[in-house]
Amino acid sequence: MRTQPVWQIVARREIMVRVTDKSTIIGTAIMLAVIVGVLGFSAWSESREKTYEVAYSSTTSQAMVEGIAERSTEIDEKVHIEAVAVDDADAARHALEEEHADAYLSPDEDGWTLLTLQDADSELRGVVEQAVEEIVLAGNADAAGTSAAELTKGSSVALDQIEGDSELSAIRWVVGYALAIVFYFASIMFGMTLANSVVEEKQSRIVEMIAAAVPLRQLLAGKIIGNAVIAVGQMLIYVAVGLIGLSLTEFSFALPVLSGAIGWFVVFFLVGFVVLSTLWAVAGALASRTEDLQSSSTPITMLLMVMFFGALYLDGVGEQIGSYVPPLSAVLMPMRLVEGTAAWWEPIIALVLLLAFGAALVRLAERLYSRALLQTGGQLSLKAAWKLEE
Amino acid sequence: MLEVSGLTRRFGDMVAVDDVSFPVPSGGLTGFVGGNGAGKTTTMRMIMGVLAAHAGTVSWQGHEVTREDRRRFGYMPEERGLYPKQPILEQLVYLARLRGMNAADARQEITVLLERFGLGGRTKDPLEKLSLGNQQRVQIIAALVPAPMALVLDEPFSGLDPDAIDAMADLLREHARDGVPVVFSSHQLDLVDRLCDRLVVMARGRVVAQGTGEELRAEAALRYRLVLGGDAGWVRDVPGLHVRDVSGPEAEIEVVSEGAEQRLLAEATARGSVLDFHRVVPRLSEIYREVTA
Repeated sequence: MRTQPVWQIVARREIMVRVTDKSTIIGTAIMLAVIVGVLGFSAWSESREKTYEVAYSSTTSQAMVEGIAERSTEIDEKVHIEAVAVDDADAARHALEEEHADAYLSPDEDGWTLLTLQDADSELRGVVEQAVEEIVLAGNADAAGTSAAELTKGSSVALDQIEGDSELSAIRWVVGYALAIVFYFASIMFGMTLANSVVEEKQSRIVEMIAAAVPLRQLLAGKIIGNAVIAVGQMLIYVAVGLIGLSLTEFSFALPVLSGAIGWFVVFFLVGFVVLSTLWAVAGALASRTEDLQSSSTPITMLLMVMFFGALYLDGVGEQIGSYVPPLSAVLMPMRLVEGTAAWWEPIIALVLLLAFGAALVRLAERLYSRALLQTGGQLSLKAAWKLEE
Repeated sequence: MLEVSGLTRRFGDMVAVDDVSFPVPSGGLTGFVGGNGAGKTTTMRMIMGVLAAHAGTVSWQGHEVTREDRRRFGYMPEERGLYPKQPILEQLVYLARLRGMNAADARQEITVLLERFGLGGRTKDPLEKLSLGNQQRVQIIAALVPAPMALVLDEPFSGLDPDAIDAMADLLREHARDGVPVVFSSHQLDLVDRLCDRLVVMARGRVVAQGTGEELRAEAALRYRLVLGGDAGWVRDVPGLHVRDVSGPEAEIEVVSEGAEQRLLAEATARGSVLDFHRVVPRLSEIYREVTA
């Protein structure tokens, strides 16, 4: 009568229940819509050409606004400036309020004033500031009998950096933090689901029948593996959609450089996730009812907060040390890899440490889980669960 | 045969089950009775290996029971339940697979049982949509598939309506007839009396009486009922008897020293007319009260 190993049967059920669960399907669809939406919007707003109507009320400012309009596409190819004539400052104010114009340019004692209804768009500001500077500089240079090129000669500053490269730094930073956030939320979301499915078995009392039939270790393993399959599957869908989306934006150049680090992220995510899952299962086993879960899972949510803020705030040596300390390493090492500050052998050592820590934790969690699971009289403390006999 | 010997379990300083031994012979129903807190559930949990025993053994066909043996025992825990939101057929198949059955066989056997219990049309319904009685029936099926080598049922009759009690009783008898040792606990003493071949009575963690119904009755003190023509008050003065009850011309006595009932009868006929004198067979509930007192 021996068929499949028990953990596989359990894992299969976990997956089937989750995959056919309406809230999972809806949640996934919403998440995908958000990713596609955000990426789509940023791609669209990036490629969108913008036209600003800039008003003037004197011949001096007319010349300036027309000068800006001429130079605008040179400065920012997606920005167009149109000059609009108004009678005076009051008329300009009115035009702005009625949104007939986007801005009003007028001279003052120190130079020029750009008046807008609310915050000026950064694109508009960038183009106007640069164009005015160039035009005024050219005029002043003429008056002094020289040229703008002559005046600014030798003043350019090129950027270079020893660690990493300048072009990628910002994007590395963003991707690193995005990964930390993804880890944090995925751990909480899937962890809670796992804890819930553990307490559900306890609350519905089916667990005693299962315990009589199979070793609880197998039940624990099956639940964690099933949950991990779902989590990783879902993450892979998100990451794939995210990467495809990213490749359509102007940041696509970063992809080949980061793909190795993202690969490591998936590995660390998987190991870190499984290690933390055991703790979530314990949180579920300590509770007696779903309502207890909030408090029984506090220690692990605290741990996740520490990991998350560690990832946000640790820097330099602290970050280096943290990237070896499990379970912090599950987040920090992939971040350092994305930042490009880790040597090739570092993730391997961190991974071995994380696995060793995980193995120890799994044993501990198994003891707590199997002892607490059959105690249905209210929520248990960790200490009480540890002291329980089988 | 399933056999329990010397099972002991403590919770802290409290001894919940103390040196409990009894057999559960194949081909018969063994009833397990006792008040709340007598240790029945703890004993059954130890039989199923859900709870570790501090001393004693559970043996199956002469050897110490293994996990694989237990996997084929049908078990109905006292605190029971199934997945509320999962369709019943699906979760029964899952449980049967956990117990080593392949999915196709499990599906077939469970479908037959669901039909037998009048749930053939509801296989795809989630458990929570069923009435409590029907949920209980699903729970029973969970213990019966795959075909159990032994049945260990903790309060299988609680929460059942009279029809379901009869159906359950038939089912247990059927399994017993097929040679499966069946042990079940119950508070319904008359039901146990009617159904069971053997009884095990527990009180305060110990077995206080066990045997067949006849054996238990034979062990109980002899009891007689006497109806006289006149007042029966003088019965109290007859030595070797324990008077259970006297009212007017009627008396019920228990024999303390052998032969005392004969002396009583002789005296009664000497004093006047005797309208009735007969042996009283105690009901199980009376014996139960005596042994657990």
